[in-house]
Amino acid sequence: MNKVPIDEILNKVNGIKITHKRKTRIRVDVDADSLPTLLELIKGRASYIHLSAITCVDWIADNQFELVYHVWSYEEKCLISAHTRIDRGSESNPAKYVSVYDLFKPADFFERDIFEMYGVTFIGSPRMEKFILTEWNGVPPMLKDFDAEAYVQETFKWTDYNPDWLQELTDQGGGIAVKPEDIRTAGNTHNMSTHRERDKAKAAAVKANEKMQGWKQ
Amino acid sequence: MRPENYQAVKLGQSNEYEIFIGPNHPGIEGNYAFRLMLDGDIVVSGKADAGYLHRGFEKLMEGRLWIQNLAIVPRICVPDPAPMEVAYSMAVEEIMGIEAPIRAQWIRTMQLELSRVAAHLFTFGGHAATTGMYTPMFWGVADRDLVLDLFEDFTGGRVYSIYNIPGGVRRELPPEFLQKLSNLLDYLESRQNDYDNLLFTNQVFVDRAKGCGALTQEQALELSVTGPNLRACGLAYDVRRDDPYLVYDELEFDIPIQTAGDAYARILVRRDELFQSIRILRQIIERLPSIKGKIRTPIPNPLSWNVRKGEAYARVESSKGELAYYVVSDGGDKPYRVHVRGPSSMHAVQTLEFLAKGARLEDVAQIMFSLDACPPEVDR
Amino acid sequence: MKKELKIIQKERTNPLAHVFDDFISFCQSKSLFMLHYCTGCGAIELPPAMTSRFDMERLGIQPMVTPRQADILLITGYVSIKTLKRVILTYEQMQSPKYVIGICSCTVNGGMYWQSYATAKKLNEYMPVDVYIAGCMPRPEAVMEGLQRLKDNIRNDKKEHKGSAWKDYFNRYDYYLGNQQALFGDDWQTPTDIIAEAKLYDLETEETYGKHTKLLEKHQTPLLPQEMRIK
Repeated sequence: MNKVPIDEILNKVNGIKITHKRKTRIRVDVDADSLPTLLELIKGRASYIHLSAITCVDWIADNQFELVYHVWSYEEKCLISAHTRIDRGSESNPAKYVSVYDLFKPADFFERDIFEMYGVTFIGSPRMEKFILTEWNGVPPMLKDFDAEAYVQETFKWTDYNPDWLQELTDQGGGIAVKPEDIRTAGNTHNMSTHRERDKAKAAAVKANEKMQGWKQ
Repeated sequence: MRPENYQAVKLGQSNEYEIFIGPNHPGIEGNYAFRLMLDGDIVVSGKADAGYLHRGFEKLMEGRLWIQNLAIVPRICVPDPAPMEVAYSMAVEEIMGIEAPIRAQWIRTMQLELSRVAAHLFTFGGHAATTGMYTPMFWGVADRDLVLDLFEDFTGGRVYSIYNIPGGVRRELPPEFLQKLSNLLDYLESRQNDYDNLLFTNQVFVDRAKGCGALTQEQALELSVTGPNLRACGLAYDVRRDDPYLVYDELEFDIPIQTAGDAYARILVRRDELFQSIRILRQIIERLPSIKGKIRTPIPNPLSWNVRKGEAYARVESSKGELAYYVVSDGGDKPYRVHVRGPSSMHAVQTLEFLAKGARLEDVAQIMFSLDACPPEVDR
Repeated sequence: MKKELKIIQKERTNPLAHVFDDFISFCQSKSLFMLHYCTGCGAIELPPAMTSRFDMERLGIQPMVTPRQADILLITGYVSIKTLKRVILTYEQMQSPKYVIGICSCTVNGGMYWQSYATAKKLNEYMPVDVYIAGCMPRPEAVMEGLQRLKDNIRNDKKEHKGSAWKDYFNRYDYYLGNQQALFGDDWQTPTDIIAEAKLYDLETEETYGKHTKLLEKHQTPLLPQEMRIK
């Protein structure tokens, strides 16, 4: 059988954007509608039979989820990462996408994982149920708007650690120079709700201080 | 205990009954559970129950600096932590567009292979113990400890070394380290006959392991089985050779395969791989002294280090199979998303459920250990 | 039956009672069975500690597979919420005297997972802990040292009262139950009736009861046979 170049196969899909990153990595961007077609095509026509992983990335600023399907070919020795974006949905109307279980059996594990961690429902996936987080009742924890640190501060009791030996050191002028909670709430970041915002404010403060050694790219 | 708290379980019409294995069970590798529906002692169906080791790694990593994450990545797989560090460092390097110096790459390769030796020795013991043989467990753990001593010597940590950073490795090798390594390899090779007599050709073990949990190549490919488990089904696929990273394309090694696909084939593949790793380490001992140079590419101040926008999918071959890190950066000082693809997440859930079906109850533990499943990789 | 036991415990007329006590604590400290439960990553240092290199057995410590026959519950590392439930069930099933050792820094205060939504932070809020072994992870020598410390505590329990942390679970059951309920929800219950056991061992105090045990009584339902189906 004549070997068809992979680009030729990929270009059959509408609206595709192909980026050759290096010899064994191809990045492909497609619409959510044509992704299953693409996977079927590269599995059937180009021996990409090994589903390495499915990743979900939460782009909260764009109100979108990015789904990345990493598929490897044992013959071509190349990995195609197919990127697609779906609507992020809301609490009343959670995000939905179509399952690729009938193409790749391991999708069962990855889709269930994404269902738990991000709340994306995959239609057609055999086991859309809780697996790892069976004892968890909150929102899907991997969402960017779930603040794990705030949750921990609320749920668990924290007590100050002031042993006698530390008191002695403090009296002599030693001890903890900067308390961890001061670092955590550095700058005027008390009112910011998500840790992402706080981090950005902190990073900005650090940048301002270290203009001299700022990394030039 | 109040007797009124208990009621007799009413059995239905079916002869089937359900039992739990784990999480507190010696036949389970790590903190993991498995629910089995049995008919007599034949497993009708099984369902994996994970999450006992869930720490929310991927969430934690989004909240920490790039450099801080190096301290927590090795915790994802306890018996074989080195590939985790290397894969994460490689992913960050790829986004940054930097490359580790050639000497650092050789040292990393050495660390990976040493870690593989340690992990395989540990697996032999665990697998043998599920068939009731405890001597290999004692031997395997004791020999693994010698490898851990070397780890302590050159990284400072016995189990978690945290030796890699994006851009290279942390420290130079201590003096006369390669001589010590060479002595250890001599010792391990001298043990080959002992292990063969005790375990690999022991008729008791062979009878138990042969035909247990057999996978065909098609089934293995369909279930995304990788690593030694796939090679035991006859497909010579190894990330080290097919998607080369570090300096594996300069090294000579064979990819051992078996065709039976059962528990015995899997442990034989691991045995052969152990000696291939020793062969690789010998080449490294020979060539490393002639490779001079730095061990680190300078990176900016790690506390205010903004990795540029991008994404990378870094794959390495761990002792369990194909391990991959998908790292996304939005240009901030913390990762935007890190996804860990542990090889055991394929082996310990779907493959185990598939293989348990029709097996006998006493073989379930052996099947799990022969797949070398590592629960923290499933839970993360 | 319970009353008789109480009397036996209270009236110690035998002049050799303290000799027996001493002998019993000597025997207890020399033969300890450790439950084989790997809860976290610290479990990887137990095989070296148990097998030929460090050889835990020379201290009289052996792994045991069932909680009913075990004396020591080793918590080897972080406990996720899901594990913590099982750990508490296991702990309550163990026969007294029982000892808990928290290995790794994660059991002390959450360790490096302090900001994780999925792990419990301080183990001694949920069950009394005898010995903590800090470190990430502690070397086998440190584990052995901790076990040796536990043995000394058991041996000198009559003098120093360090080896009887398990009594605290009965003495202050309300406190532990409150912490468990805060984490697992109000309807948390275990099949073991701790209050009845506290009465049996003559260990109930004022702090055994409280608003949390009242809440437990309100929610406690007879254990029904669970209907389980595998899909």
